[in-house]
Amino acid sequence: MDILIISKYILIIAFIIMMFAALRASAYKGTSMGLLGSSVVVVAFAVALLVFGQMYNLTFYRDISLALIFFGFVGTVAFSIVAGGDK
Amino acid sequence: MIVEYIQSALLLIAAFLVIVSAVGFLSLPKDMKNVVYARIHIIGIFDIACIIAMIGLGQYLLAVIYLILAPFTAHAIANAFYKSEDVVNNVELNVVEEDEDNPNPFIVNRSKVQELENEDSEKLKTDERFTISTLDINEEE
Repeated sequence: MDILIISKYILIIAFIIMMFAALRASAYKGTSMGLLGSSVVVVAFAVALLVFGQMYNLTFYRDISLALIFFGFVGTVAFSIVAGGDK
Repeated sequence: MIVEYIQSALLLIAAFLVIVSAVGFLSLPKDMKNVVYARIHIIGIFDIACIIAMIGLGQYLLAVIYLILAPFTAHAIANAFYKSEDVVNNVELNVVEEDEDNPNPFIVNRSKVQELENEDSEKLKTDERFTISTLDINEEE
C-alpha cells in the first residue's frame, strides 16, 4: 500500500476525532463555545471532503469544500456580531 | 516519488497537529481562568494543521483563502465572548444595579407596602427570597 494513501487515511481518522471533540466542546456552557465547536466541525468536514474527493475521484468536491469554508466563515462572523451586541 | 514523500509527510504532520489540538481542546479544565480564549488559541493550531493538509493535497488557493479567513473567525468569536459573556475581564458586565438611596429607611410609601403584602405582587414572584413577617410587641416586654 502506498504511503500517501496511508497518510490520507490517518488524516481522515484525525479529522473524525477532531469532529467528535468539537461536537463535545460545542455542548459546553456558553454561546461562544457552541459557535467555536460548530465552526471547527465545518472546517474539519471540508478538509476531510478534500481528502475523500482526491481518493475516490468525486466531482465538485473542491467547490463544495470551498463553499463550506467560505460560508462557514460568513455564518460564524455574522453570529458573532449578533451575539456580541451592538456596542 | 519525492513529491509523494513530501505530500505524505505534510499530511502526517497535519494529522499529528489535529490530534494534539483535539486532545488539548477537551482536556482543558472547565474552571480554569479565561478557558474560552485558551480554546480559541488551540483552534489556531487546528487551523494551521488544516492549511498544511491543504498544501499537502495540492489545494494551494484554498490554503491561502483559509489562511486569510481563519484569524478573522477566531477574533470574531473572542470579541463576541468578551462583549457578551466574559464577566471576569469585562468590567461593563459586572455592573450591579443599586437601589436608590432612601434618606429614611423607616418611612415607606403606603402603596409600596400594600403592593408587597399582596400575594400576587410581581416582586414576590420574581424574588422568592423576599418574605414579609409581622412581629407583635407588647408594651410590658
